Amino acid sequence: MDIGILKESAHQERRVAITPSVISKIRKLGYNIFVEKELGLDANFSDSEYVEAGAIISDISSIWSCDVILKINKPNEDEAAKLSKNQTLISFFSPATHSVLLKKCAKDNINILSMDSVPRISRAQKMDALSSMANVAGSRAVIEAAHIFGRFFGGQITAAGKIPPAKVLIIGAGVAGLSAIGTASSLGAIVRAFDTRPEVKEQVESLGAQFLTVSLNEDGSSTDGYAKVMSKEFIDAEMSLFKEQCKDVDIIITTALIPGKEAPKLITKEMIDLMKPGSVIVDLASQQGGNCELCIRDEISNYNGIKIIGYTDLPSRLASQSSELYANNLYHILDELTPNNDGIIDINMEDDVIRGMTVVKNGIITYPPPKIQVSLTHKVEEKKPVDLNPVIEKKDSLIPALIAISVLFLVGAFAPESFMNHFTVFVLACFVGYMVIWNVTASLHTPLMSVTNAVSSIIIIGALTQISSVDTLSLILSGFAVFIASINIFGGFAVTKRILGMFKK
Amino acid sequence: MNLEIFNMEVVRALYVVSTVLFILTLGGLSNPETSRRGNQYGIFAMLIAITATILGPQVSGNYSIMIIVILLGGSLGLLLSKRVKMTEMPELVAILHSLVGLAAVLVGLVNFINPINEYVDVEKTIHSIEIYLGIFIGMVTFSGSIVAFGKLSGKVSGNPLVLPGKHYLNLIMVLAIIFYGYQFVSAETIDLSVYPLAIMLTISFLFGIHLVASIGGADMPVVVSMLNSYSGWAASVTGFMLSNDLLIVVGALVGSSGAILSYIMCRAMNRSFISVIAGGFGSDSSVASVKTEDQGEVQAIDIDEFKSMITASNKIAIIPGYGMAVAQAQFVVNQMIDILKNKNIEVIFVIHPVAGRMPGHMNVLLAEAKIPYDIVYEMDEVNDGFKNIDLSIVIGANDIVNPSALEDPNSPIAGMPVIECWRGSHTVVLKRGMSTGYAGVENPLFFKGNTRMLFGDAKESLLKTL
Repeated sequence: MDIGILKESAHQERRVAITPSVISKIRKLGYNIFVEKELGLDANFSDSEYVEAGAIISDISSIWSCDVILKINKPNEDEAAKLSKNQTLISFFSPATHSVLLKKCAKDNINILSMDSVPRISRAQKMDALSSMANVAGSRAVIEAAHIFGRFFGGQITAAGKIPPAKVLIIGAGVAGLSAIGTASSLGAIVRAFDTRPEVKEQVESLGAQFLTVSLNEDGSSTDGYAKVMSKEFIDAEMSLFKEQCKDVDIIITTALIPGKEAPKLITKEMIDLMKPGSVIVDLASQQGGNCELCIRDEISNYNGIKIIGYTDLPSRLASQSSELYANNLYHILDELTPNNDGIIDINMEDDVIRGMTVVKNGIITYPPPKIQVSLTHKVEEKKPVDLNPVIEKKDSLIPALIAISVLFLVGAFAPESFMNHFTVFVLACFVGYMVIWNVTASLHTPLMSVTNAVSSIIIIGALTQISSVDTLSLILSGFAVFIASINIFGGFAVTKRILGMFKK
Repeated sequence: MNLEIFNMEVVRALYVVSTVLFILTLGGLSNPETSRRGNQYGIFAMLIAITATILGPQVSGNYSIMIIVILLGGSLGLLLSKRVKMTEMPELVAILHSLVGLAAVLVGLVNFINPINEYVDVEKTIHSIEIYLGIFIGMVTFSGSIVAFGKLSGKVSGNPLVLPGKHYLNLIMVLAIIFYGYQFVSAETIDLSVYPLAIMLTISFLFGIHLVASIGGADMPVVVSMLNSYSGWAASVTGFMLSNDLLIVVGALVGSSGAILSYIMCRAMNRSFISVIAGGFGSDSSVASVKTEDQGEVQAIDIDEFKSMITASNKIAIIPGYGMAVAQAQFVVNQMIDILKNKNIEVIFVIHPVAGRMPGHMNVLLAEAKIPYDIVYEMDEVNDGFKNIDLSIVIGANDIVNPSALEDPNSPIAGMPVIECWRGSHTVVLKRGMSTGYAGVENPLFFKGNTRMLFGDAKESLLKTL
């Protein structure tokens, strides 16, 4: 089958759906790839790189007739009109809010796989473009903030005086939030993060940020991988926490989204009034109304010296990286869709991930998909810590000691003196052995065994004392014993020497 | 000709010197630095013991035979030690154990045929028990080691032999040995005691075979160390029989050494010694029925992605299993760490106690590939520190990195200590396919979000990354 990729038509879009690095992998699945001239120019991928990787540069109209079209943004009306019967389109689509387009595609019998409908299960992570884009957006949000912010992020003590580190508050520790935390703390800022889901605390802390909570005990986790709407008490407590933080922090990055709903208003005008002039707010939710009351979509607004960034094109501002990630997501989806590596797409509706993404198939609207319960982290949390229950370590008991003492007593009561002498030596030797062997380092256990092999051939002494006997049978037997013990002595010591010689620093 | 230069007192004194040197030999192994001198102590100790014996009053003739036999055996031993490959060390150790066992049997028999001293009453009983016990332990060590050798070298199937009613079989054999032991001790004349001794020889020969044959392949490290222990006890009992303290002490040292190694191996697999002896992994029918829930899907990567993951790391932990040694991939790994060192990437090795086929086997295989021993760590030294490790590379290992040992109480390997590499940032598993390990258990590590699979032959994959 042929796959076609065109330049994105959306305003100021620099990203591209496929990058040269995945082309060879997609070709291995059995597809031919046709790309528009200067496809990746804005994302710094040249035509020659595409051609080198195995793509064919073609004219726009023949690309539109390919069997599969890969895009990033949902098609506009013009583009939708160019799609033809039995074609498959894979792109962001937002089927919930674009029912007219959805119906048109169904009528024209075009198969649509929507990138934003990939279910949030762990198996589908590698195909989840929303997450990869959120990752880029979170990181870029910090860079945008740092760009506008008038000071350093990291603290310094210089000859000219002390520079305090910037304080960054990140609201929502999802993919974007965690990425922002990582970027901000590696720039040297003091980072705090808030999230309604207590299970993300560990991730937040592992990235070097402080996790803020409210004292109310309410869990914001839900089974679809997003946070849920919280109770009024919780929101009140949360708001007063933000108010306190606003007085202190220099940068606020908000990433709170609840699927299918307008973004919650978390930073009010009243709070912004408390912030220091020069502070920066980046609102990553501005596409869905914004977490910040004063945010203006796609603009930087200035409110009493406090800058509020409402960009919605953050991934596109890091076009090479976003394209690379998006292209990889697409590759993994194509990999799923091509189980036989024969270049033929199989939209298998039995597969949870493909089922979830497919919004139109064979002229029928298949959105919304049946619900699958997913959040894996939640399931893991419920597992009780396992009792390791080591079998070996038994309880200390007096019984073995008592048995040992009575055995010794019995031996002493009946055995003659000569035996007791040897027995004493034996028991003491066991203890010496015990002490010495525990000191042997584990890495030398093999040479320990080979040297004890040689050492235990001390039994040769026994054979030697018998070899002088006159009767032939004894001579043969003990001679043979000396022979095999010698093999052991020489072999054991020599191989130990050989092994130990290999241990070098 | 009589070369009796030393009297018995001098011989005894030299035996004490020899004993001390033997203890120092084992003590030297506490550190690779001192271990080579330790081995030399051992050689000295043996030399002193043998010379003292030959030149003492216990030996009064047949010197030429003695020297010829020692030289013959010695050259054969040296030849073996030069020829053996490091992967074959367990086989060599097993075959050497069998020789100690056989020597103990022979010494016991000669002592029985041709007693040095006459004993009466209790002393006679004790002496008879010593002979009987010495021959028994020697025989079990001998036949058991031969089977172990066969299993390790692949000449005998590694699967545990399951005879119907095998526990009863063992019990009957032990009871028979005790019964004939009683007959042997209470026999009035030597002629009367030959018969029970012969039967015992046969039974203990079969007993040794059955003991080792019924143990599964995964438990071989325990078996090898167990036989190591037996060979020591055999020497010790022979010492009792001959009233020779040197043999008693040295035998006890070796015996406790093997016992401790067996204990360490058992602990590393969270198995009790009894359950190892009773039968290995795989003979337990409940194992196969454990069906894990759908774990999702593994994420495969190719060589280029693997390369970029390596170069993006600061600290890499390599977790080798026996599969790495089989593929002889450790030499490639060594080339790789040289390259990484130049790029300022720190590489360490993490070794599980049961990774090889005998205790410490992995360390030897790595040392053979000239991998410096100071970057090779034990599991316990690293397990708490995986947070600092950017990339773990698992080569030819499976069960020793299986998180279900800690997370799933129903798992057949539950409670076994494992290398917790999934606590690091990323893990790449080099693997031929999706088969399970020795224990036949699914490995959830492969399905974790931070794990990537690199399918194919480990050695070839590594060669391509160079």
